[in-house]
Amino acid sequence: MIETMEWLIPGVCGMGLHLKLDGFRLVYSVIAVVMWGVSGAFSKQYMAHYQKKSRYYLFFWATFAATVGVFLSADLYTTFIFFEIMSFTSYVWVAFDEKPESLRAAETYLAVAVIGGMVMLMGLFLLHDVLGTLDMEQIGVEAGRVLAGESTLESGAAVHVAGGFPSAKAQLYTAGLLMLFGFGAKAGCFPLHIWLPKAHPVAPAPASALLSGILTKAGVFGIIILSCTMFTSDGLWGFLIACLGLVTMFLGALLAVFSVNLKRTLACSSVSQIGFILTGIGMSCLLSWAGEGNLLAVRGAFLHMVNHSLIKLVLFLCAGAVFMNLHQLDLNDIRGFGRKKPALRFCFLMGGLGIGGIPLWNGYVSKTLLHESIVEYAHFLAEEGQALAAGARGIPESLLSVLTSHGFWKGAEWVFLFTGGMTVAYMLKLFVALFVDRHPERQEEFDQMSSGYMTPLSRAVLTGAAVILPVLGMVPFLTMDRIADLGQGFFGGSGHAHKVNYFAFANLKGGLISIAIGAALYLVVIHGFLMERETGAAGEKEKGRGSGLRYVNRWPSWLDLENLVYRPVLQTALPGICGAVFGFLDQYLISTALTIFFSVSSVVCRSMDHLTDGVVVLARKTVCRQLPEPKNHPETNWLAHVLGHFVDRWARLKILLFGKKETGRVRVSAVHHFIQREKRIKHMGNLVEQSFSFGLMLFCIGLCITLGYLLFVFYK
Amino acid sequence: MSEIILALPVFFPILSGIFMLFYRWGKEEWSRKRELFIEGLVVANSLLIVAAIAGGADGDRRIVLFRLYSALTIMFKLDPMGSVFAGLVAFLWPLATLYAFEYMKHEERKNTFFAFYTMTYGITMGIALAGNLVTLYLFYEMLTLVTLPLVLFPLTTEAVRAGRAYLYYSIGGAAFAFIGLVFVLGFSAIGTTEFIAGGMLDVGRALESKNVLLFVYVLAFFGFGVKAALFPCYRWLPKAAVAPTPVTALLHAVAVVKSGAFAILRLTYFSFGTEFLRGTWAQWVVMGAALVTIAFGSTMAVREVHWKRRLAYSTVSNLSYILFGAAMMTPLGLAAALSHLVAHAFMKICAFFCAGAVMHQSGKTYIYQLNGMGKKMPVTFGCLLVSSLSLMGIPLFAGFVSKWNLAQAAFDSGSGLGLVGVAVILYSALMTGIYMMTVIVRAYFPSLAGQTEAAEEAALPGGVDKDDQEAAAEVVTAEDGLTDPGWKMTVPLVIFAAAILVIGLHSAPLISFLTMIGGEAG
Repeated sequence: MIETMEWLIPGVCGMGLHLKLDGFRLVYSVIAVVMWGVSGAFSKQYMAHYQKKSRYYLFFWATFAATVGVFLSADLYTTFIFFEIMSFTSYVWVAFDEKPESLRAAETYLAVAVIGGMVMLMGLFLLHDVLGTLDMEQIGVEAGRVLAGESTLESGAAVHVAGGFPSAKAQLYTAGLLMLFGFGAKAGCFPLHIWLPKAHPVAPAPASALLSGILTKAGVFGIIILSCTMFTSDGLWGFLIACLGLVTMFLGALLAVFSVNLKRTLACSSVSQIGFILTGIGMSCLLSWAGEGNLLAVRGAFLHMVNHSLIKLVLFLCAGAVFMNLHQLDLNDIRGFGRKKPALRFCFLMGGLGIGGIPLWNGYVSKTLLHESIVEYAHFLAEEGQALAAGARGIPESLLSVLTSHGFWKGAEWVFLFTGGMTVAYMLKLFVALFVDRHPERQEEFDQMSSGYMTPLSRAVLTGAAVILPVLGMVPFLTMDRIADLGQGFFGGSGHAHKVNYFAFANLKGGLISIAIGAALYLVVIHGFLMERETGAAGEKEKGRGSGLRYVNRWPSWLDLENLVYRPVLQTALPGICGAVFGFLDQYLISTALTIFFSVSSVVCRSMDHLTDGVVVLARKTVCRQLPEPKNHPETNWLAHVLGHFVDRWARLKILLFGKKETGRVRVSAVHHFIQREKRIKHMGNLVEQSFSFGLMLFCIGLCITLGYLLFVFYK
Repeated sequence: MSEIILALPVFFPILSGIFMLFYRWGKEEWSRKRELFIEGLVVANSLLIVAAIAGGADGDRRIVLFRLYSALTIMFKLDPMGSVFAGLVAFLWPLATLYAFEYMKHEERKNTFFAFYTMTYGITMGIALAGNLVTLYLFYEMLTLVTLPLVLFPLTTEAVRAGRAYLYYSIGGAAFAFIGLVFVLGFSAIGTTEFIAGGMLDVGRALESKNVLLFVYVLAFFGFGVKAALFPCYRWLPKAAVAPTPVTALLHAVAVVKSGAFAILRLTYFSFGTEFLRGTWAQWVVMGAALVTIAFGSTMAVREVHWKRRLAYSTVSNLSYILFGAAMMTPLGLAAALSHLVAHAFMKICAFFCAGAVMHQSGKTYIYQLNGMGKKMPVTFGCLLVSSLSLMGIPLFAGFVSKWNLAQAAFDSGSGLGLVGVAVILYSALMTGIYMMTVIVRAYFPSLAGQTEAAEEAALPGGVDKDDQEAAAEVVTAEDGLTDPGWKMTVPLVIFAAAILVIGLHSAPLISFLTMIGGEAG
């Protein structure tokens, strides 16, 4: 066993980071290094003709650091921090070439990452509150205590904390589900797989290889922590994960069979393979719940993770080799490209055989283990299902009957085998399209590319990565079992480790059934339903030489979870409803309140204003009514008349004596002027008189009061 | 008497500002001299504050300036919570002033602007250092009056309208707060309104007329909440986005609005006391109002297409994070509220300064005009990226730390509404993701945005001013020479972005200090 290394960085990012290197983490760090190394080397040729290389490499290595951080993390807080960094740096990969469809895909990716991250954070808050710790060593113990403590108390009164708080167990499940949402979104688990088929085709191929090969595994890593550390032997949880796995596995493969785009097919295949892994994780929970050893499931899930990472690396880089020469990914445009290119064919074949679960290749080993784990559980149920159902507590009756029904898990086994068959079918479809079919028009052009389609460096790393796959598959006892030994501790694997003889007939049977199903599916469904005869001139010309068939996309275009549900809900319904509510509040509620306030207050103020005014008005209307003004103003004062006439005469005399000097000035009688003057003087006199008398009056009143007061005081 | 150092940072900028109003600086080429004077003054004041805090902030140092009668005194006191706000303001002000020099370069009436801008510094310090509710109230009212000319500064119809709204809302709110002041004085156990950690109400007497006091608390909460843009009194804030960016950034994202939040913290934790308030109907009312505002602000921000107004709505939402922390009325709640007060100050001022830098360089004010500018103004948009991620609450950045603390405190408070609060924060984080990331994506990955631009522009609400459109049309031609602004603008931006990262990466000392404050007061 290797030594465990730990690194604690207290205080950073609030709660401090905690990194650790032990078996599982070691394996995945090595895989990360290998994958980044290979795709980095491959990028050199792939990115040669792109602008903005530096941006690509910056985010390429930033994501590397973050991903390794996720896999090394020893507490969920650290996991979350690196997980978020990883999500954001890898966003740039998807948006890299800035075409509308890439930006749309990147938008989806970002939305899934942000929503997933936020939901996960809420789960983390809740978990921290329930368990008091986020350390991976301790959450298992604490969660076990919460789950167990709850079950002993449940027989008594219902346990509820005051204040409408749900019970600790319910909180723990909620936290688990929230975090499952976040991790599942990254892993590509149904129904959050939507970003994978969109993002992979548009990202640069080395980036797709990493997105699919290892970034999704970061999500799986989180699910492993939840399932194998917190809900170790929780039947309900295991059932949930296993069902999600089965659905994801089946739907992913179905999408892949229908897809006519090389990288999209591979992306859907990734979804499907993640489903295999999740099924394994779910089975490990279920087996441990049933009291059986869960090593088969644990080893199967872990090895399938490793295998899928390595296989998808090879396959996506092959797709990259196609894309960097043709800049096309549609199967109809690229068919026949692989002819006369033995290196590409070898690599693609290794990957295809590996993922198809063909004996002697690595995928077979892990799929066999997963298959055996389902068989074992079904077998166990057939024998002791009744006892298990009777002994279980805290699980609703209807779920329990499904959980322990032999038939259900027999069905699950067949879903598993059928999906394996679909895997074979879609890989066969890709292989035939690339290496067997001929392109109706450009075949000569394709054949001429045979010499220079890959630089020696790309060829070397791709072949190197491809050679690993059969090596792992052919000597599983030397290689894969040892890897599994390293990793199983992290999964909490327990029970007897009986050696599985991978090449015994009992185990080969499952693989062979899948291959048979795959061959049948290829011949019947893909040839019969998903291909049609070439039309037009090209088809006529081609008839003699090739198949004359082309691939058609029969998937109904409206059946797209993202466009059907998520985008309308997120873009229209959610902002629409909330926006409408708040917009209404903003526009009307407050305005209305203000209007009402102002109108009421102005009415009140005005009426109060009128109260005082009213007295005055009343007085004026009654007691102090104004006398009507005299009609004709007698110009009263004789002195003004005399003086005025005198001045007028004098002026006339002056004009007579000295002649008219000032022309243009209209003469005004001075009488009027004097009358005005007199009026003003009188008015002033009045004012002085009145105010004086008024003052005098006040003074007198004051004096009287003072006197009265003095008298009052004096005589008291 | 060394306690005079508590009064100096308050009155020094106020008096200098008054002096600047009357001093003639001569010709325009002398503006360099004025800039030096102002910057030196502001830096000196910040140093004074640092010196005051370094001299001990345990709440024992106090200075009584004026005593109307024994109960009504103007008093300054330096306690840990005051020193957090004072230190924050002291850090931000010199940098914001530096930014303002470049931003206001082409404006008229610079002298008036800087005079009031400097005076605001002193008054904000007065709020931070206020030792009792009377002093706080006094400076709170003064803050309204002294910042009014800054809102009115552009002197357009819109600005006058905004200024009027600001005045009405603030004065009206302060009137409610005044009711609180009177009652606190009436029920005070110590005969004055001096702040004491844990509250200074005479609980025995207070319990006799409990409901009246709780009603008064709610009134005062909403009264001070006007400055903190609490729903339904938030309206002045988006309107005030017409003011020059240094004002919207420093005052309407930090100084003024945080004064409102700070006053609420003082009222809740240091006057009424959490013991009296916790678990009463008043707590649910104010917490509910804060939660509604969080959801409301972030939703409105998504609907808004004017960049600064969008940020203003974001401020509305984020201020209520602080109020949500305040309304929890637990020690952790206070610590979380203060941590968001600090973190939000950095990230929002950074975001506003980025918006201002873009406006200053290109004249663009609407989000749909920002296509592809990320590459032309790398420093500006780099800082905006940091601030946006922080606002969303992504780890490594300051916003994550405070959001973490808030959610922890909410779970810890053990109430049903706390759980609702976490859900609301989740919703708000999603909305923040939408309204900030759309800006970033537009700036860095323009082609998708470019396609939908025409459609969006056609679908715009009729609220777009004709001037804006014309101005936008003008700058389109001059777009090619677009670069980052000068060092006076970029240096503050980079420092703020760095501060966000530092708080995000190494928050332990800050959080432990804030937890200590919370432990005392809760």
